[in-house]
Amino acid sequence: MSEQTNIDDKLDQLQRAEGPLLEVKDLQVDFTTDDGRAVHAVRDSSFSVYPGQWVAIVGESGSGKSTSAMACLGLLPGTGKVVGGSIKLNGTEISHYAQKEFVNVRGSKMGLVPQDPMSNLNPVWRIGTQVKEALVANNMDVSHEKRSDLAKALANADIEIKSEGDETFLGSKELPELLEAAEQALVGIGVEGDAFTRKMEYFRSEWVPGSETRWRVADDLIKAGVKDDDAWYIAKKYVTGSSMEDRIAGLLVEAGLPDAATRARQYPHEFSGGMRQRALIAIGLACRPELLIADEPTSALDVTVQKKILDHLQDLTDSLGTAVLFITHDLGLAAERAQHIVVMYKGQVVESGPSLEVLQHPQHPYTKRLVAAAPSLASQRIVSVEEHGQDASSIMEHKVNEQSLETADTIIEVSHLTREFKLPRTKDMFKAVDDVSFKVKRGTTLAIVGESGSGKSTVANMVLKLLEPTSGTVTYNGSDIAQFKGKSLLDFRRHVQPVFQNPYGSLDPMYSIFRSIEEPLRIHKIGDKKSRAARVRELLDLVELPESVMRRYPNELSGGQRQRIAIARAMALNPDVIVCDEAVSALDVLVQDQVLHLLNDLQAKNGLSYLFITHDLAVVRQIADDVVVMQHGKLVEHGTTDEVFLHPQQQYTRDLLDAIPGGKLELGLNLD
Amino acid sequence: MTDINTTLPGQERYVAPLEETPLQTVDTVDESAPATSMWSDAWRTLRRNPLFIISAILIVFIIFVALFPGVFTKTDPNYCTLDDSLEPARPGHPFGFDMQGCDVYARVVYGTRTSLSVGILSTLIVVAVGTLIGAIAGFCGGWIDAVLSRIVDIFMAIPMLLGAIVVLQMFRTVTSIWKVVLVLALFGWVSTARIARGAVLSSKNLEFNTASTALGSTPMRNLFRHILPNSLAPIIVIATTSLGSYIVSEATLSFLGIGLPSTTVSWGGDISNAQSILRTDPMVLFYPSVALAVTVLAFIMMGDAVKDALDPKSRTA
Repeated sequence: MSEQTNIDDKLDQLQRAEGPLLEVKDLQVDFTTDDGRAVHAVRDSSFSVYPGQWVAIVGESGSGKSTSAMACLGLLPGTGKVVGGSIKLNGTEISHYAQKEFVNVRGSKMGLVPQDPMSNLNPVWRIGTQVKEALVANNMDVSHEKRSDLAKALANADIEIKSEGDETFLGSKELPELLEAAEQALVGIGVEGDAFTRKMEYFRSEWVPGSETRWRVADDLIKAGVKDDDAWYIAKKYVTGSSMEDRIAGLLVEAGLPDAATRARQYPHEFSGGMRQRALIAIGLACRPELLIADEPTSALDVTVQKKILDHLQDLTDSLGTAVLFITHDLGLAAERAQHIVVMYKGQVVESGPSLEVLQHPQHPYTKRLVAAAPSLASQRIVSVEEHGQDASSIMEHKVNEQSLETADTIIEVSHLTREFKLPRTKDMFKAVDDVSFKVKRGTTLAIVGESGSGKSTVANMVLKLLEPTSGTVTYNGSDIAQFKGKSLLDFRRHVQPVFQNPYGSLDPMYSIFRSIEEPLRIHKIGDKKSRAARVRELLDLVELPESVMRRYPNELSGGQRQRIAIARAMALNPDVIVCDEAVSALDVLVQDQVLHLLNDLQAKNGLSYLFITHDLAVVRQIADDVVVMQHGKLVEHGTTDEVFLHPQQQYTRDLLDAIPGGKLELGLNLD
Repeated sequence: MTDINTTLPGQERYVAPLEETPLQTVDTVDESAPATSMWSDAWRTLRRNPLFIISAILIVFIIFVALFPGVFTKTDPNYCTLDDSLEPARPGHPFGFDMQGCDVYARVVYGTRTSLSVGILSTLIVVAVGTLIGAIAGFCGGWIDAVLSRIVDIFMAIPMLLGAIVVLQMFRTVTSIWKVVLVLALFGWVSTARIARGAVLSSKNLEFNTASTALGSTPMRNLFRHILPNSLAPIIVIATTSLGSYIVSEATLSFLGIGLPSTTVSWGGDISNAQSILRTDPMVLFYPSVALAVTVLAFIMMGDAVKDALDPKSRTA
């Protein structure tokens, strides 16, 4: 405890003494459109990052948060240009730098972890080669560690680094001999039995070639009881520098990739999303930059993976003394990870300050709005104004009470549902969904939660009869949907409607909004031209969009608006059940909040039942009455929302709940 | 936790004055912007493209010449007297006369119709057949796709001109331009089929098809209402660019003497006839060649402009 406080104090002193690492003042970035107009993407924005600090920039898409960060790196896309203000790195003005000058700064002084792990690794090069590229491009010495002054200053003063040579890395060739020497040294000082095994185990795990330095080896030996001189003798004899391959593997191990030497020889397609992101982190930190710019580094990943990666990144940057400028749309994440937060809106900084203070006591109306909409764990089930009269704030109880949950009749029943897929090029079958049973009660919402690959979307497709189950049944209103054919299938389609995840893909780009919403009416031959047009107007009104939208095309609308169109289309036939497959996952918090409220209002008004598929537990809390947790195709836990959230029975559910960023933080204390 | 006293300089609490960035309603629709569909967007891009403007003017002119050759010349292109053989230009006969004493200007004007009709007819057949077969292959998949794709591969392996020469050898007596059109279509449909198959395959897997199925739509309805309209852009692009190449192929075949019969006025035939006197009277060869080159260039430029406008990569969503 006191040691930690000491380090914090020391860090604080250093930060004050050194001044900001990155200082952005009144930054202005313009983009030029095709017809020569200037679009002000960033206006008069100022923020600063101190050495060793995590700073978060939050905002919705298009708020200028990525643009600000990219301006610092000189990586503005397309016609983007810094037209005003200053960017200072370590006191040097870099905003006017030519690309050539930026080359000297990038990699070695500022590293980048890009947003999309899927497209930011070159598919034709091995992972190791791509790490090597970063090292070679910056002329990095691969056999000696480069540590920031901050890291040096913060490191425990007990170990005195005698010479430059003490920062030499351990090589893989010498590792076996070193371990042997260490073993003998331990035997020499009389360590045996369990303690011996434990210590050797520790050495084996800690001494990673290309990452462990001579002084650390010596330090480890001394701590194990070996005499100072002997320890230094062993360290000097066997720690004599690493090869390029060792360093690459070392960097990958540091980024949290186990078995790195093998991994380095693999190609990106052999990696999962999380592993790719780790490789990108290794590349970003390869040249030991003082500042790491992380642009939504984990937004494409599952929460549990996100937590692991960020925990690891935090440990790593703390030990290296790297400052991190962290761009995110997730307030919880910002609150949890960053010391300082910058909120951007429409290209401007609207609020900034210590992160907890800003998020707990937001002052700017935009920040207040953002915090209010953030689906944190603390939030409750949305209560519809329609249902409870105009005074919703006074009634915060659960929308569907326990009793009606028990008595309501079942509209969809899924029993022992299993779906197998044939794996390509083998005879093996892969069970995407394995013996899943649950019931959706009329007028309630059942959420299926799980990470990618848990089989939740496969369940949704089977309930929609877009996919036939291998075994098991789905019944709608008591009849098996497998029996539906022709007319009865059309009737089923009329009553069970989907809303899909991707608001950009689920509307035909060739169809005007009017045609898209009218399509189900046409398919089911309902009404004539005039009555259909009237119905489309009614539906647009239902999803709170102006009538003028009818003549527009999907590419002109935002993601949230498209999702509302998709909801209007699903509502066209007055269905009983709507299956929402990740319907709000692609949306900004404010828009997500708006769509969730809309869904909830529709449920209250029309008595709809929802099957809500999502990976986001926080959203579940806001909309669901019952929850099914899925993992690897199996149903892990099933209960009411309160049960699952307050008393999770399974470890997996607890892990999921723990991984929600900022889940334990109470935000927006001054709201309501 | 951090309190204000320990905040580092430059990182104090800052709240922007509200006037600077007034709050806007969440996710409002911009009603001021004009409505745009993919086609109207493409049209707007096209309209601004000088390549398109130039090629469009040329093509309109060429079509006009093909439809109303009488407006440009009163001379009958088939009226030839040896008295005029290789006579230079004179009033009423601006390009002079060829070896047979035919008016070169009149033949260039009337030849437009032949070239253009072969080009357009071949393209229409190619697009119809290619799209149909490509769409069936892409949409059905499985063994149908395998069989159709292999057939396409076989046709791909035959060089178009070589194949055309072999087939046309068998029909030397047929005089209609349809024989050239059909032969060009026979060896031309495969590339369109490949492109159509690819386009259908990629739009088949888009989510709106699933959405539409879940709304109660049948697979056939999906194909015609959603998949095909979304696959049209690349097909239109290849159709416009290949139109020029069919015109060239017709000229080549006529040049080789196995395309259109000598009784039909065509640029290829005229170029062929003029080659023997190239050294003494190059102008006889020059005029039909320029007409052919300008026509082909116009269509290729148009194809390029259309490609720029419809290129899916330049469009979001």
